[in-house]
Amino acid sequence: MTHALSVGRWLLIVVAVLISLFPFYWMLRTAVSPADEVFFDGISLVPSELDWSNFVRAWEDANLGRAVLNGVIVTVSILVLQLVTCIPAAYVLAKVKMRGTGLVLGIVLGCLLVPAQVTLIPTFIGVNMLGLADTLTALVLPFVTSAFGIFLLRQQMMSIPDSLMEAARTDGLGHFRTLRNVVIPMAAPGIAAFSVFSVFTHWNDYMWPLLIARSTDIATPPLALGVFQQADVGLDYSALSAGAVIVTAPVVILFLFAQKRFVQGMSGTEIPG
Amino acid sequence: MTATLERPVTAPDAVAVRRRDRSNLVPILFLAPAGVAIVLFVILPAVLSLVASFFSVPLAGGAWQWVGIANFQRVLTDPAVLQAIGNTAVYSVITIVPSLVIGLTLALLANSVSRGKPFVRTALFLPMTANLVAMAVVFRWLFAFQGGFVNQLLGFVGFGAVNWLGDTDTSLITVALVGVWRSASFSMMIFFAGLATIPGTLNEAAKAEGIRGFTKLRKITLPTMKPTVVFAVVLAVLASVQAFDTINVMTQGGPQGSSETILTMSWKLGFGYFDLGAASALSFLLLVVLIGVGILQRRVLSGGSK
Repeated sequence: MTHALSVGRWLLIVVAVLISLFPFYWMLRTAVSPADEVFFDGISLVPSELDWSNFVRAWEDANLGRAVLNGVIVTVSILVLQLVTCIPAAYVLAKVKMRGTGLVLGIVLGCLLVPAQVTLIPTFIGVNMLGLADTLTALVLPFVTSAFGIFLLRQQMMSIPDSLMEAARTDGLGHFRTLRNVVIPMAAPGIAAFSVFSVFTHWNDYMWPLLIARSTDIATPPLALGVFQQADVGLDYSALSAGAVIVTAPVVILFLFAQKRFVQGMSGTEIPG
Repeated sequence: MTATLERPVTAPDAVAVRRRDRSNLVPILFLAPAGVAIVLFVILPAVLSLVASFFSVPLAGGAWQWVGIANFQRVLTDPAVLQAIGNTAVYSVITIVPSLVIGLTLALLANSVSRGKPFVRTALFLPMTANLVAMAVVFRWLFAFQGGFVNQLLGFVGFGAVNWLGDTDTSLITVALVGVWRSASFSMMIFFAGLATIPGTLNEAAKAEGIRGFTKLRKITLPTMKPTVVFAVVLAVLASVQAFDTINVMTQGGPQGSSETILTMSWKLGFGYFDLGAASALSFLLLVVLIGVGILQRRVLSGGSK
């Protein structure tokens, strides 16, 4: 490797890292800036003083406390329901030889192709007909299972050696205990990766809450932020930015802790076995 | 549903036989919750979406009225919808290719650095996790006409200010830049994971043969991780066609429909104009395009290592 090439490579990496991180930095900078320093003349990358009151205003004016609570309830409920529905289904599709599993797997793969947006309108009408509009239940209901989750977990479970399944059977373990004592521990990396993915997706989801949540009492964090930025908050960009930090931080922190496992677990998806 | 589903381990033959008789019961029970949910929340709505596209659907409830292909005719002759379809095509082209090329380049770079690898990797992965509503808020100021950072920077190096989001010539490009920022990060994560699956012996063999640089990329790296490449392509296509949050927050499709896409348009038709039939027709057209992408994905998924 020549010296010039190496310098060029580092330059590219530095530029990429800067572009990657800059919006996050800008969000933080605006969130701690006094309100009159959001827009500026010349290039001032740091605020003259730190103003933490922006967070208080965002928390109160955008009703973010309530939204964060709603977000936690919705995200955790979806995660638990998806794990309860996806893990047993993935186990059957990966490890139980039964007539019809091929067809079921085909249907699951087919469902991966249907984007949420196509099912949006009928689901909206259905949820309304059930009288569930504007409830937390409506935010959770369409996501009780995940075709992607079944697919990802099946990939992980495929790699469990059949000899282990045989051993479980000779020990007299039924399906339930085989799943609990053998399969779940072995598929833990995939389960962890899917959990992170599920939390990302549903914490950040904007479209369905925008459609189904009417009152601010059941707004999720992105929705509360979206409403806040459209509402008449004047030019309070500092508070809006503080709100953006509050909405972004939980997922970023989760990712920082889980990233290695997440990337490993996700890599299982591209080479099905 | 705990141990009640189980029988004792050392069951006598009679019990074992009984167990074998109902041996498919437990697997079916295992599949049932996911199966019911998939039918209710994916298959049924997708079918209903197709059906609704042939009806006039009152949002408030009440009888659907058969209108044949009138919804399709209407959306396909509406200039605003045609503009949205065209914008979607442009948006896809200017986001898919750059995000894949940048994603692959960054994955190769991040993979090859000797120092600070975890930091570089984390920094480059971060856009993937971003909440798009929060980021759209930030990007709206970065690209603000007056006092926005991008225009400040342009002024600093002697260029005039551009009305990024307010000009019909630039609004689509600007929302696409945010799309690239986000999905390049996602592509990079997939490529990065894919690179890790290439056997070390292959890299050593290439080194011994003196194959490096672009030749190595073209002859060894890309062919070896072909499933990864196609997976990344498919996800990039899906991400570009499904872009919604950024546009909804940054421009709401404007100015004058210049950043409107199929998705924001079908949203507007359905929930702005309460024309659910037309919205269904448009989202069904989108589904047809995505099924094309999906057939490709299916072929790759089933043709992976088996």
